[in-house]
Amino acid sequence: MVSVSENTPLLRVEDITKSFGAVQALRGITFDLVRGTVMALVGDNGAGKSTLAKILSGVHPPTSGQFYLNGQSCRFDRPAAALAAGIETVYQNLALIEELDVADNVYLGRETTRGGAIGRLFGILDRPAMRQHTAKALSQLHIKIPAPTLAVRKMSGGQRQAVAIGRALTWGRELFILDEPTAALGVDETEQVLRMIERLREEHGLTFIIISHNMQDVYRIADTIVVLRQGRHVATLAKNDTTPEEIVAYITGAKE
Amino acid sequence: MSENATPSLLPSPTNRVLEFIARYGIIFVLVIMVVALSILTPSLRGEQYFLTKRNLLQVALQASINSVIAVGMTFIITSGGIDLSVGSMAGFAGVVTAIALRDYGVGYLGGFLVAVGAGTACGLFNGLLITRANLRPFIATLGTMGIFRGLALVASDGRPIYGFNRRFIDTFSGETFFDIPKPVIVAALVAVGGWLILTQTRFGKYTIAIGGNEETTGLAGIPIQRYKLGIYALGGFLTGTAAALLTARLSSADPIAGNLFELDAIAATVMGGTSLTGGEGTILGTVVGALIISLVRNGMNILNVQSFWQQFVIGSVIILAVMLDQWRKKQVRPQ
Repeated sequence: MVSVSENTPLLRVEDITKSFGAVQALRGITFDLVRGTVMALVGDNGAGKSTLAKILSGVHPPTSGQFYLNGQSCRFDRPAAALAAGIETVYQNLALIEELDVADNVYLGRETTRGGAIGRLFGILDRPAMRQHTAKALSQLHIKIPAPTLAVRKMSGGQRQAVAIGRALTWGRELFILDEPTAALGVDETEQVLRMIERLREEHGLTFIIISHNMQDVYRIADTIVVLRQGRHVATLAKNDTTPEEIVAYITGAKE
Repeated sequence: MSENATPSLLPSPTNRVLEFIARYGIIFVLVIMVVALSILTPSLRGEQYFLTKRNLLQVALQASINSVIAVGMTFIITSGGIDLSVGSMAGFAGVVTAIALRDYGVGYLGGFLVAVGAGTACGLFNGLLITRANLRPFIATLGTMGIFRGLALVASDGRPIYGFNRRFIDTFSGETFFDIPKPVIVAALVAVGGWLILTQTRFGKYTIAIGGNEETTGLAGIPIQRYKLGIYALGGFLTGTAAALLTARLSSADPIAGNLFELDAIAATVMGGTSLTGGEGTILGTVVGALIISLVRNGMNILNVQSFWQQFVIGSVIILAVMLDQWRKKQVRPQ
């Protein structure tokens, strides 16, 4: 066991860069994320927010730079490595498989089998157990869905987002990255997702990185705000020391 | 979310009817065809040709080889892919099997293993082109359609191969209990096995997930390339199985055997309700689709329709089935 001192940030990102061919998507990102806080990652389209999220969740390796989880260096070569480290990401539009039901989605990639060794060998799914656990896990998170056997394609945008976040919370231990969690939602649904994030931080001390375009949302739930512009890290702001106007000024480049 | 289940997105009565038709409508088509042919044949020809045990078993026999291939095609299409090479693959596997039986003295079981081994190798080759060389399944298997057929012609010198192990022929063709043809038994076992794999196992679930959204499946940490390779290998394994049945039934391996098998296999699959866009597949539908194709052929023969019309009808059926699927999706999808 590595002893984690009180001062070790949950996540330390050190001078990460990422190039795709000649395109420099990220040009040196550095920040610390304290356990139990919410960080908003903001910036205009093409600022590099999603690229950074994909590096932290093992989709792309960084071109240079490091990041550390609980003080340990992370080198993820595939999404499964980030998931194993306890980092869960809810992607915009890519969170769930519409053709599968809720329980099959929650357990996607983490199926339990039945029938002992033979069941494991052939991957015989234990759907009754997975459905039962899904129903229990989601209800503990106060996520209400009609049934764990409901196909995702029959659900509303808010229900889908709740299931996607619920799935991340079921499996994640350390860090939750939410990519535009409210972009596709109506007013009521947005309010419920924001309340859920607030409650999870306060009651369970969970840590979030939230990518968002919505300044109202950001200003309401974030403790710190990291602003990216054209791949550069232009500001790290504490919510209590800034204003929505200042954040927008950094995003647009009116302020450096 | 709490208390905001928007009722409009829940299945309405219309949507339920549409989904029911999409899922089980094909069975009614089968029943209607059987009834129609039972009534038509005696009135047109003065005698019941259709509704006899012998003819119905013939229909099942003619459906069996296509059904075995189409079960594999169902996995491939459900995963969002396609395999145009199954006909050539069946021809190639048959030739390789006949040569192994005739010239290398492999026993009857050895012959079967050669057939499924050749099919699996062809399927793996397709899978490698798709996962390693990043070719679209349509292009990869269009190419191997030519490659496998070419190999079959080269290996056989372009001539049918006769005169091999009698025991191989006796084991994999002919009838068994209740006069049921052996290929029908094999097709039934393959269908049950395919249904279990698709609906009850991790492999089947990932096949659906990859067809539903490949990127999301990969982001969930699932090694999609390995599973896709497995899906094409399974298709090849079943095509090899079909090749063994075909070679035994014809007592020979013709390098041009299996011509247009891909048409029948794709037709059975999409007619059965498996979506060409991926993410949805039904083995029961595929088997019913294979029976319908066999019935169309059988019915047209009995009714003395020129056999050239058969390809025309099967092709039309594919187009109609896909049009119905697209129309249904537009009705059911909320967006």
